[in-house]
Amino acid sequence: MNKLSLLSVLIVAVLSMVSCTKKEISSEKVLNLVVGSEVKGMDPIYSNDRYSSNETARVYESLLEYHYLRRPYQLSPNLAEAMPEVSNNGLTYTFKIRKGVKFHDDKAFPGGKGRELVAEDFVYSIKRLADPKLQGLGWWTIDGKLKGLNEWREKNTASETVNYDEVVEGVKALDSHTLQFTLVKPFPQFLYSLAMTFTSATAKEVVEFYGKEFLNHPVGTGPFILPEFKQSNRIEYVKNPNYREKTFPCDATEEFEKIAKEYCGKKLPLVEKVIVSIIKEDQPRWLNFQKGNLDFIGIPKDNFDAAVTPSNELASDLSTKGIDLLIQPSLDVTYTAFNLDLELLKNKKLRQALSLSYDVNTSNKLFYNNRALPAQSLVPPGIAGYEKDFKNSYRGHGKEDEIERAKKLLAEAGYPEGKGLKELTYDCPSSTVSRQIGEYTKQQFAKIGVKIKVVQNTWPELQKKIDTRQVEIWSIAWGADYPDAENFLQLLYGPNKVPGANGSGYNNPEFNRLYESASTMQDTPERTALYEKMTRMAAEEMPWIFGVHRQNYVLKHSWLKNYIITDFEAGTEQYLDVDVEAKKVALEKL
Amino acid sequence: MNIYAYIFRRLLYVIPVILGVCAIIFLIFNVVAPDPALIILGKHATAEQVVEIRQQLGLNKPMLSQYFDIVRSAFTFDFGRSWSTKQEISEMIKAGAVPSATLSFPAFFISTILGISISLLVAFYRGSMFDKVTVVGCVTLMSVSSLAYILFGQWFFAYKLGWFEISGYDYGFPYFIPYILLPAIIWVMLSVGPDVRFYRTIMLDEIYQDYIRTARAKGLSERVILFKHVLKNAMIPIITYVVIQIPFLILGALLLESFFSIPGLGSITLNAINSSDFPVIRAMTVLSAVAYIIFSVITDVLYTLVDPRVRLS
Repeated sequence: MNKLSLLSVLIVAVLSMVSCTKKEISSEKVLNLVVGSEVKGMDPIYSNDRYSSNETARVYESLLEYHYLRRPYQLSPNLAEAMPEVSNNGLTYTFKIRKGVKFHDDKAFPGGKGRELVAEDFVYSIKRLADPKLQGLGWWTIDGKLKGLNEWREKNTASETVNYDEVVEGVKALDSHTLQFTLVKPFPQFLYSLAMTFTSATAKEVVEFYGKEFLNHPVGTGPFILPEFKQSNRIEYVKNPNYREKTFPCDATEEFEKIAKEYCGKKLPLVEKVIVSIIKEDQPRWLNFQKGNLDFIGIPKDNFDAAVTPSNELASDLSTKGIDLLIQPSLDVTYTAFNLDLELLKNKKLRQALSLSYDVNTSNKLFYNNRALPAQSLVPPGIAGYEKDFKNSYRGHGKEDEIERAKKLLAEAGYPEGKGLKELTYDCPSSTVSRQIGEYTKQQFAKIGVKIKVVQNTWPELQKKIDTRQVEIWSIAWGADYPDAENFLQLLYGPNKVPGANGSGYNNPEFNRLYESASTMQDTPERTALYEKMTRMAAEEMPWIFGVHRQNYVLKHSWLKNYIITDFEAGTEQYLDVDVEAKKVALEKL
Repeated sequence: MNIYAYIFRRLLYVIPVILGVCAIIFLIFNVVAPDPALIILGKHATAEQVVEIRQQLGLNKPMLSQYFDIVRSAFTFDFGRSWSTKQEISEMIKAGAVPSATLSFPAFFISTILGISISLLVAFYRGSMFDKVTVVGCVTLMSVSSLAYILFGQWFFAYKLGWFEISGYDYGFPYFIPYILLPAIIWVMLSVGPDVRFYRTIMLDEIYQDYIRTARAKGLSERVILFKHVLKNAMIPIITYVVIQIPFLILGALLLESFFSIPGLGSITLNAINSSDFPVIRAMTVLSAVAYIIFSVITDVLYTLVDPRVRLS
């Protein structure tokens, strides 16, 4: 073969490789999802971030879940047969476990056949979450809540091995399918922890079989199977052929009635396969979605203007391709916190002045495409404790009179026109947007004569600074762990100070007292009244400058059915459907 | 000196270098790094948990003992588990090495061959319009940010024209090829500019040497002069330049891997840095130090093969 023909063969080979990129559309129902960060592993007790939690929940299941078609969010039974029986004193929760639920087939079981789930599996899983040697990241959900569990943990901290056989009063199997939790004190939010991935059912023999590699061998009872987890750019799940008879819900709140009507009673999951691509950068995520390689995505910030018109509608070039836009407020709050351990920042009038000088409307335009909701206090809309008409009197909007008031408050605080006030340090995470927000804050405070220095940090560095109290002012955000105002109000509860979640160190005895009363109460108008009182108190005291409650903007292709934006998306892919025929047609246009 | 004795002696130098690298890593992570306990435990950390996890990670051990742990891991290649993902680091490295190598080695090979070939041509036509246009072209290629190549390449060639995959990776030959084509082309575009300028300087340096004038006086053709004399004598700087880059190829390409979702060592390193995952950063640093030393030994040995005047001592 001469050189020329060798070259021709090489070129043809390369071109044929390129042509391999044209994929055939599968007639199988396949969900193509994306995550923007690495997935750490598949062990439920370590899935403390959204990405790992979502992946883990495709394989593992918990006692409860959030009803897919009801808003406000409502818990419903998952591996539990029904909602628990709660004792009159609010301390004992008794669950009946579903019968006939099988773990996935795996070589860890005798004969490789998955055995039936029993109540003891939950007892083991809860103890595993509390195991001091494992340091499960969801320990906080049950820390100090279950009778005898903290003592069990403490006892086993010092010992060589952890004794799982010791009976703990707080979590007991009454028989093979009856599980009982006994709380130390009433805490209705406890039920939310039973819908989290941390408390999913794991089988003891599987954990022992795989040892430290258990995190790469997920064996649950869930709708999808992943034979082995490998840290890569793609995770591929297949439908669990032995999945229990779980069907699509027939009841729904008004906005989702249509979906309920169409899918009521259909066996779950609705797709054969779930393929999750890990794409960390915005551009490839955006382009892959537009090419039809992904079923839905959150709109990257830089592509927002190309996707959404100023009147909050989908751009016409996208709608002609059959793409839909979905919008929903998310349960979160952004804020600029003050370190209240510092004498200087204990000065309430100084904090109020700084808040008034900060124009939230312009920041909304600059950093959130004017789509976020300015926060009046810490509780976001959509949960009890949020008051739609409440206005924070120290919330700044860039108005002249607000600046004058801010200047007056600053003078009353002892720093007329900022004189005598040292330059404050503002710490923020190292992303571009965070730095821009820092520069914006600097400009806002300068309007009343207050100077700040913006310092960027990696996320762990910022965490360390907060925990070692080397911060003065810093920007941060909080997303709900569960849909209850208590999860936000605990951020200002005194005993939760660092390394707990109360980074600002706010410690008001009156607030603490209200929090302690409310956190043991069932969801009643009295509890809501207490929540509202606390949010108003925070709005007056200003331990933070309240930022915004962000909104989720999601684009989805028309072939994806039943997709609903949710703050608690773990386990929801089982309700999603793909119209293969519609996909074939739509892909022609992309 | 016997070549084997030389290699053995040079490899012994690895020991003090590794000890030094470990000392630097140890100092950096004990002085400036954030507390790993807080990184691991996340937003709901309690004071008790922080104490317990510090104990488990061995952070309460005496400083010297912590230092020896690092040194031991460097010699046994047992780097333990990642703090962030809890995965076995040696497995992470094994899994990441293949995607990185499938991108970096072909791209590096092509860009080197292309760089040397163009520089020979440019040297042949030195001072001509071709030479000038090539130099200007190289400077232009170098002036554009790597991010611009990536963003444009991905948008135009992969998305608009559909010639390549937008991102992703499939393991095994030949499945990975469609995924590495575009990043490899971008790699070549990024490397060829500086490469040609560097090789051109070397070639021109040789061309004006006395022995070339002698060769011309003997009536040798310009082609023979270039390929037989200039290229051979330019091999020492070329080898130095090429071989010393290989350890960095093993570490992968941070930006390209990140944008093209290639699960290589570059991505692993980037994640580790972002999450202050000390054991992974330590492993990658030690690996690159060892690779650097090994490849500098290889460079020295290669010198003797291409130039008999070089003696190992």
